[in-house]
Parts: sequence; C-alpha cells; structure tokens
Amino acid sequence: MRKDVFSSYHPAVNFFYFVLVIGCSMFMMHPIFLLFSCMGAMAYYLYLKKWKAVKTTLRMMLPVFLLSAILNPLFHHEGVTLLLYLPNGNPLTLESILYGLAAGVMLVSVLNWFSCYQSVMTSDKFIYLFGRAIPAMSLILSMVFRFVPKFQAQIERVSNAQKCIGRDVSNGGVLDKAHHGIKILSVMTTWALENSVETADSMKSRGYGLRGRTNFSIYRFDTRDRILTALMSVMALVVLGGIVTKSVYFRYYPMIAMNKAHPGAIAVYLCYGALCLLPVVINIAEDIKWHYLKSKI
Amino acid sequence: MALFEIEDLTFTYSGAERPALEHVSFSIEPGEFVVICGKSGCGKTTLLRHFKTVLTPYGRREGKIRFCGQELEQVPMREQAGGIGYVLQNPDNQIVTDKVWHELAFGLENLGCDRHTIRLRVAEMASFFGIQNWFYKNVEELSGGQKQLLNLAGVMAMQPKVLVLDEPTSQLDPIAAGDFLSTIRKINLDLGVTVILIEHRLEEVFPMADKVLVLEDGKRIFYDTPRNVGRALADNDLFLAMPTPVQIYNAAGQPGVCPLTVCEGRSWLEAYFSPQPEFSAEAVPEKTPKADVVVEAKELWFRYEKEGRDIVKDLSMQVHKGEFFCVLGGNGTGKSTAMKLLCGIHKPYRGKIRLGGRDIRKISSKELFHHFLGVLPQNPQTLFVGNTVEEDLHEMLTDCSREEKQRRLAVMDGVIEDTEIRHLLHMHPYDLSGGEQQRAALAKVLLLEPQILLLDEPTKGMDGFYKHKLAGIFSRLKERGITILMVSHDVEFCAAYADTCAMFFDGGIVTSCPAREFFTGNCFYTTMANRMARNLYPQAVTGKDVIDACRKNRRRDSTPE
Repeated sequence: MRKDVFSSYHPAVNFFYFVLVIGCSMFMMHPIFLLFSCMGAMAYYLYLKKWKAVKTTLRMMLPVFLLSAILNPLFHHEGVTLLLYLPNGNPLTLESILYGLAAGVMLVSVLNWFSCYQSVMTSDKFIYLFGRAIPAMSLILSMVFRFVPKFQAQIERVSNAQKCIGRDVSNGGVLDKAHHGIKILSVMTTWALENSVETADSMKSRGYGLRGRTNFSIYRFDTRDRILTALMSVMALVVLGGIVTKSVYFRYYPMIAMNKAHPGAIAVYLCYGALCLLPVVINIAEDIKWHYLKSKI
Repeated sequence: MALFEIEDLTFTYSGAERPALEHVSFSIEPGEFVVICGKSGCGKTTLLRHFKTVLTPYGRREGKIRFCGQELEQVPMREQAGGIGYVLQNPDNQIVTDKVWHELAFGLENLGCDRHTIRLRVAEMASFFGIQNWFYKNVEELSGGQKQLLNLAGVMAMQPKVLVLDEPTSQLDPIAAGDFLSTIRKINLDLGVTVILIEHRLEEVFPMADKVLVLEDGKRIFYDTPRNVGRALADNDLFLAMPTPVQIYNAAGQPGVCPLTVCEGRSWLEAYFSPQPEFSAEAVPEKTPKADVVVEAKELWFRYEKEGRDIVKDLSMQVHKGEFFCVLGGNGTGKSTAMKLLCGIHKPYRGKIRLGGRDIRKISSKELFHHFLGVLPQNPQTLFVGNTVEEDLHEMLTDCSREEKQRRLAVMDGVIEDTEIRHLLHMHPYDLSGGEQQRAALAKVLLLEPQILLLDEPTKGMDGFYKHKLAGIFSRLKERGITILMVSHDVEFCAAYADTCAMFFDGGIVTSCPAREFFTGNCFYTTMANRMARNLYPQAVTGKDVIDACRKNRRRDSTPE
C-alpha cells in the first residue's frame, strides 16, 4: 500500500468519514451523487492500491454492475416509458433500466468504499475505537489478532514435520489423509492450551487482573483532526440540508423527475463532491507540498 | 537490607513424594547479579517461581521468603507486579498483544497508569532498548531475539527492582543470545537492577555474575563467587556444564586463580604452561578411501517467491556414508532452508539433489521417508501427536501388517534403549524438558529406520549434560552405518563430535573439511578452547585436547603468585 496521508489522521476521523460516505452512497440514488461517490471511491482505491485496484475492479466490480443493470429491468416493470414487451409478456421500461444502472453504480461505489475502509481502518485502529466502550473486549481482540498468525505458523511447522515421517495430510490414501489431519488438529489444540499457560503466567506476572486497568493508545486528536472533522461535518450538514429541504431530489418511478439546477442545488452537489474526493485531495495536496519542499532543498 | 531472603525453603509439589526443593536458604543483596545453575530437573525453575506470589506453584511449602524485609505474601500484589519483573523461556508465548507498542504498554495499563505516564515510560524503554525502529510493527514480524528483547522491555517499563529470568536465551541463536545477555548486564550495571538468572550458556554469564547458586536434587550445594564455584565443582557431574576455561583449569590441577574468560584463560595458560607448537592431539587417521556418497547436492538455487531474493545460492555438498557432517553458520544464512530442500519439503528451481545415488525427484515420498531419510525438525514438539511418549511411538506402527509390527516392536525396544527414554514413556511429550523432548522425537524418527538422518539444531536449549548424552546416541547410530547430517550453531558440540564440518554463508557452503582442520583454521568461528590455547597449542580444538597438552607441558618453574 502506498503511503496514505488520510490514514494518518486520528482513527475516529477515519471512521467518521467512512460512516458518512458509505451511508450517503447507500441511500442516495441521485445520479449526480452517485457519480461523485463512485468517482471518489474509485479514485481513492486506485490511489491506495495502484493498478491492483484496476484488477479487482474489473474482476469483481464489473460483474456486480452488469448483473444489477441487467437483472433489474428483467424483474421490475414499473415506469411509464414503455420500450417493448419481454417474451414472457412483461413490459420493459426505460425507468427500470435507468434504475438498474444507478443501483449498479451504487453497489460498485459502496464496494469500493469498503475496500478502502479495509486498508485504512487496520485492526489496531478498530480496537482503539471500540475497545474503550468495552475494555476487556479490546484486549481480547488484540490477543486474537496475535494468536491467529501464531497458530497458522505452527500448523505449517507441524505439517512439515509430519510430512517427513509420512504422516501429513498430503500422505497416503483418502482415509489416511483424514486420519492424519485429525491427529494434527488434535495436537494443535493441545499445543494452544499448553502454550496459553505460559501466556497466562506472563499476564499475571505483569499485573493483569489488578483493579483499575487503563487503556493506552498511540493516537492523539490534534488540531489537524479537529479541522478536518469540522470540515466534514459542515459538508455533511449542507448535503443533508439539501435533501431535507428538497432542493435536491430524484425520482425514478413512475416517471423520472429531478430538481432544477438552481444555485442551492449546485452548492449541495459541490459539497458532496468535495466530501467524496476528500482523501484523494488531501493526498494530492500533500504530494504537491512535498514536491515543492523537495524542489526548494 | 537484603532484597530477597530465602530461609530454609522446602517445597513439595502436590501429589509428589519427594520435595522439589529441600532446605534452601540464601540471600540476595540489592544490585547483585546472581546466576542459578544445575542439571535440568534440579528445581531451578521451581525455586525461581517462588520469587513472585502469583507464579508460585501449588504444593506444600515450608520456610520463609522475604522481599525487602517483608514476607513476600504480605507484599501487595500491585507492588509485586511492578517491583519483581519476570522473563520466561519462550519468547513467543509471553507476548500477549499484537503490536509492539501495545506490548510495551501492557504492564503499565494493568497497573492503571495514566496516558501521560505510559507514554513517557514506553518512550524511555523504546529508546533504551533501541526499539524505536520497530515500534509500530506487528509482533509476528519480529525475530526471536527481538521478541525476547520486547518481553524484557515490557517488563522493564514497569521499573522493577529485581529482574528474574528463566533461561531467557534457550530459544535464541548465539548472536541474539549474546546481545540479550549483554543487555541484561547493561541493565544491571547502568540501572542498578538486581538480576536473578537461570542460564545454561555459562561461558557467557559466568564472567558477569557476582554470585552463582548451584542446585542439585533440590538442595543448594554452592552459593559463592563464580571463581570459587568453578573451583569447587571440579569433581562434580556439573563440571560438564562449566565454561571451557574453568574445565581446563580444574583438569590441569587448579594452579593460580581460576580463569573465566578466553582472555583470562590465555594469560593463565601462558603463565603456567610451556608451548608445544608441533603438538598433535591424536594420530591423524590415515586417509581411508572415502565411502560412497549418500547425500549429494549440486548447484542448488532456491527462493520462496519469484520476485524474492535467493535464499540458497549455488549450494553444492557431498556427504559420505557413515559420516557425521555438521553445517555451521550464522542465523538467516539459509541453513534450515537448505535442509528443507534436502528432504524434499521445498524444491530447488535449479540444480540437482541425489540421495543414495538417486535423483530426489524420482523417489516417492513413501520410499523417501521409510527406511531411508529421517528428519528431525528444529522444534521437536511438532512431531508429537499422542498423549504419552509411548502412544506417540506406537502411532508409528499403525499402518503396517502384523508380522511387520512384530519386527518393528523389537526395533522400538532397541530405539528406546538407544535414546534412553524408557523412564519417560508414560509422560506427556509436552511435559518433558527440552533435552528429553529432543530424544523422544529422535526415537520417533528412528522408528522409521532411516539410513540418513537430517537434524536441525538438535542441541538448541540443551545443557552440557544433555549434549553429552545426545553425542553418545549419535556415536551409537554412526557405528550402525547411519549417516548424520546436522545443521547447528553449536561450535563446541560440532568440534567435539563431528567428522566433517562445513561453513555455511550467504546461501552456500563456503568451505568443508575434516573437523580439526576446520577449527584450527578459523580464528573467530572456532571453539573456546582453541581460541584460548591457540598461541601455545595451535592444533588443540576441544577442551580435552588442551587438557592433555597442559598435563604434558606443565612449567616446573612456575609458582603460584
């Protein structure tokens, strides 16, 4: 993953952002909103994962989009603009085709946002945010994240050792394989329990279980975080205000209808566009700043 | 006032007949560096666990333990948690959380420190231990040595008065172990923290220690300065575990002051013995025509990923039948990976491997691992699947016919005898000590009646006594014509028992020659005895060689100052 400036903000800011954009993307079917959301998500994902993002987009997102665009008109027959009758006698309408396309774009952008979320909200950020609500939970999560890779590594070692005495899952017939597999799993349970005794000793000896445990974290909510949170809140409020006051709206059924492009609506569009492109803009601004700093040196 | 006072401590595990500790008393002054040694099973660990109430094992206890003049049980838990720091054997199991910074803060969180204090202490410790470069890493990305250092730092963040360590370096390679021990030394000297340490690398900790406590069968037999203990142990079994200079000193009749380090040993030798440059330890065996080559690798190349770097580069080697072949080399040079190529777990992308004259690719895995190739992995625990050692051995017979079974049972009896594990048969494999586990695992591999034995660091975490036992097993196997190929860090062990040694560096074998030639030629990668005596007896490699030479070349004019 490329160095991402947005990830370096406080986890709460990251999380708040994703709640906003994913929430908006899921419920707002306005084509201009969809366009911005899709663009923002794709651009950010592309920025994070470079050309690996193109691969996943083609392999996963495109089929989802096509499926939604094709299936919706086949099963939904609302709408007034009749194009033709399907072989089974149902009507095919322009509105349902458009709605299918919009839903496809919506799904793709939400998927993209979630992919970004995955790489920005790492396990420790998640633990930090939700650990404070349930302190014991945060330690347990942290221990689980520690245990799983350790367990996997040991399984591989055991499997290699057993292979050398002809007793791995890759040795023998189907029955033998199953038998060896079960043996390995059973010994892994013993191993996990056995080793957890030492972990428990280490925890006890460092005072786990004393009253008044605190939670330490390496994150600090600084000025930069405050500014960005304020900015995001303002944009979100403008967008919400636009929707509540019906200065932006879009209807697919029974016939397509949308708001006029008056200045109020344009302001809302701009705000939403800025919100969606926020991480990429922050990153690019930072890149330019560095470029400038470097050329000065 | 003494930091710890142990008064007439007797402890019996519940259900055990004999006490694990009997009438042990001693006291530790603040700022002392105390080393506890003894054979495995002598009660070292049991004693160590009595230094903290939460770790004290269940059982019947008599006698008193006082911490800073107060009975240990009366000392509040909070004070104990912070004031007495423990580091245990296994670096992996002690780590609780998934991030380095979180692990450093874990103890302080438990003590209920506020954010600001934790931030400061964590920062302090990270700088002291040089952790700042991997502060944000996941713990599984760390090497074994780094993990153990992290455990130490996590404990030190709580600012303990005393540090208690139970064989902290047994799972580390020599370089990492050396680093770790010198960090302990630095903590002791710079921060004035008292250190109580169980360790089997005595050659490294003897020079550091203020006092050495020697236990035998749960009883204290010595508690004195290292030099006096070294002197006193002359006619004890534990002699084998002593550092080489001490061994030589004792065997040569103890003239002068007992040397502890190579440097001291050198001046001591020069003071009391005359040189003998043309010394030859034993008649060099005549060049017998070499037996058949059983393991042959030719220009092997290997990497894990296509874009990765080459781990094994241009590796060529030949091992002859009945030979004990040792591959020595630093950590991360690709030794273990080379082993995995030889037993077919990984496949080289270039080059050929021949086992017994046949290409490894043409041998089915069934043929390969039955009656042909035996592999003992680095961690013997990975071989065990049963609830007792006996069950584990019988598990190897499940897939053969009845007559075959009868024959194999006889084999098993021989193997149990060979590896000296009869008294362990009813125990759970995980309850055995490191050395015992290694032997039980070896027994399991030997049941397949291999012709070639591949061993990955079999002496890791073993004390001198167990190594001696293991060497005995190897020599019996060799007599039966079994070829042993071993990868190791353990210079002393290879020097004493191997036929041929090879130096592994940067993915390939740099040189390979008969053991004596190999060690007399190197100046760093050689035994302690050789480094100590190389001015006087350049041909002496093992402690025994030096002792023999000393006996012959005693200076008559030398009088102990």
